[in-house]
Amino acid sequence: MRPHASPSASRLIVSLAALALLAASCGGSSSGAGGSNGPCTPAQTPVVNFAAYSTPREVYGKVIPAFQAMWKEQHGGQSVIFQESYAGSTTQAQNVIAGYPADVVALSLAPDVDAIKDAGLITHDWTEAPDGGMVSTSVVVFDVRPGNPLGIRDFDDLTRPGVQILTPDPAQSGGARWNIVAAWGAALRGHAGVRKGDEAGAADLLRGIFANVLTLDKSARDSIQSFESGNGNVAITYENEIRTAQEAGLPDEAVYPPSTVLIQNPVAVVDRNAEAHCVLDVANAFVDFLHTPEVKQMFLEAGYRSTDLALAKKGDPKLGYPPIKDLFTVEDLGGWPAVDGKLFGSDGIATKALAEAQG
Amino acid sequence: MASAAHAVERRWSLSSRTAARLRHWSLRTAAVAYLLLMIALPAAVVIHKGFARGLGDLRAALAYPGATGAIWLTLATSTAAAAINAVFGTLIAFVLVRFRFPGRRLLGALVDLPLAIPTLVTGVMLVALYGPNSPIGRTLEGVGIQVVFAQLGILLALLVVTLPFVVRAVQPVLLELDPVEEEAARTLGASGWTTFRRIVLPAIRPAIAAGALLVFARSLGEFGSVVIVSGNITGRTLTAPVLIFQLASQFKPEQAAAVASVLFAISFGTVLITTRLTRARKAEAP
Repeated sequence: MRPHASPSASRLIVSLAALALLAASCGGSSSGAGGSNGPCTPAQTPVVNFAAYSTPREVYGKVIPAFQAMWKEQHGGQSVIFQESYAGSTTQAQNVIAGYPADVVALSLAPDVDAIKDAGLITHDWTEAPDGGMVSTSVVVFDVRPGNPLGIRDFDDLTRPGVQILTPDPAQSGGARWNIVAAWGAALRGHAGVRKGDEAGAADLLRGIFANVLTLDKSARDSIQSFESGNGNVAITYENEIRTAQEAGLPDEAVYPPSTVLIQNPVAVVDRNAEAHCVLDVANAFVDFLHTPEVKQMFLEAGYRSTDLALAKKGDPKLGYPPIKDLFTVEDLGGWPAVDGKLFGSDGIATKALAEAQG
Repeated sequence: MASAAHAVERRWSLSSRTAARLRHWSLRTAAVAYLLLMIALPAAVVIHKGFARGLGDLRAALAYPGATGAIWLTLATSTAAAAINAVFGTLIAFVLVRFRFPGRRLLGALVDLPLAIPTLVTGVMLVALYGPNSPIGRTLEGVGIQVVFAQLGILLALLVVTLPFVVRAVQPVLLELDPVEEEAARTLGASGWTTFRRIVLPAIRPAIAAGALLVFARSLGEFGSVVIVSGNITGRTLTAPVLIFQLASQFKPEQAAAVASVLFAISFGTVLITTRLTRARKAEAP
């Protein structure tokens, strides 16, 4: 091997040398280099950095070209370049906080967007956008073996002896919280064999479910993939996941509990980044575009439900979306901050129930 | 009496030869079976899955946005990592073996650290150190160098994760090398560099190649650190292993397997070529 390597090598050596110099010269304080300097001059071809969770990648594969075409038509032939990044929802939120220059984020649940907001990168109330900032919805359901051999109908059926449950780990997967919120909410609303408003009964239900959990996977997708490879006999997951699996030709079967939660997936402009990159107008236009009937239709076709609660509840039996008897939102349970603290805090009800079941 | 003893001896020696042959055979079978079971079989399953329906799945996978770019990026960064770590790995091994200085032992232990920490943690460390929000990352960005969430970050992660390979391949060979030859060269008036080039380098070249090969192969498959550091931008910083993960999580296990098979083929092909080359060179050597 020769010491003269590729250009990347020399670039790395240059950067390492620069590093050494820096370490020697620069003390604790950093210069105010960050942010935009001077007035913002938009680029001829704006570049939008888009960071999303992995599941809706294919939908965005259709949505983004449609937006680019629309923008081009309305702005005298100007092209917009999208830099797309897909990874787990919480990973993306953490990356953005760590400095990933996303102008728009599409995540699986509101607390991940709020984490970016808390880091000071989103300075507006993103829930004031149409549909409360949500672009897609689904519902928590059970993925069972063909013919539902265990006869699972509701959350309390999951606590029966011999039931082996797959659900992602709420400590690792933000999305996993939806499943627990669904069981908790259904119980508090008087379903799953629990009296309405009986918090102790709801906590018992969670303990019973956790006692039957076979594996806590990294993410919702991991759970359903593990289920497909033959593990467990019920996976708690989302309707759109099962529809995707069915479309891929897999024999998954959805069971709809009478009462379940509406999963809402938010999108927000990271305005501090968009301002710094001088793409705030394009970013805002893109998010507005996500709330148009055209895009809503694309999400429906990809297996999601309507962002309108009444429509989501009604479903579309003709297209294979059955109605949900009692569909509730996180807002009905007091909103994410309250639910997050109550269930998933360090001595939250779900955290403790899970620890007990595992210990 | 004598003939009986002879017969016993012959039978004994025969059975001892059979025993030896049996031992040889069972050891060989165990080694081959273990290799087949642990490596060849899983690889065969993946290849079968990827090509059970012909080339259609591979073609579909390559049509996935950013797929071909991801494979090229992985090849380029892996090659660069192999080249750079070949140089610096050899340097570290040389210094650790030939120089005596305080902290040498500690430095030697440090070399193996990347093997001991989860690569995901390596990724998180690099983001903390060079990320856009870190003082170093900010300053580098000021002079136009972006490390994290860029291709440079991928290379950096690969360099860290694969650092031990060349060092650990070269070190034992250097230790075995008789310093007398080097001293002779020096007393004959050769400079330090000439001595290294003419005496040391030919002896350690196969070890460097073997180490660099490990770096390359390991880099092709590196996931944990890269998925954190790269930002996974389709068409720019998306690498082949992350692409495989994305395909698998889009319920396209066949396409994921097809891309994985391509990586297998590249990795295996490189190993074969390199062994052939080093063997040829050895045969040429006087």
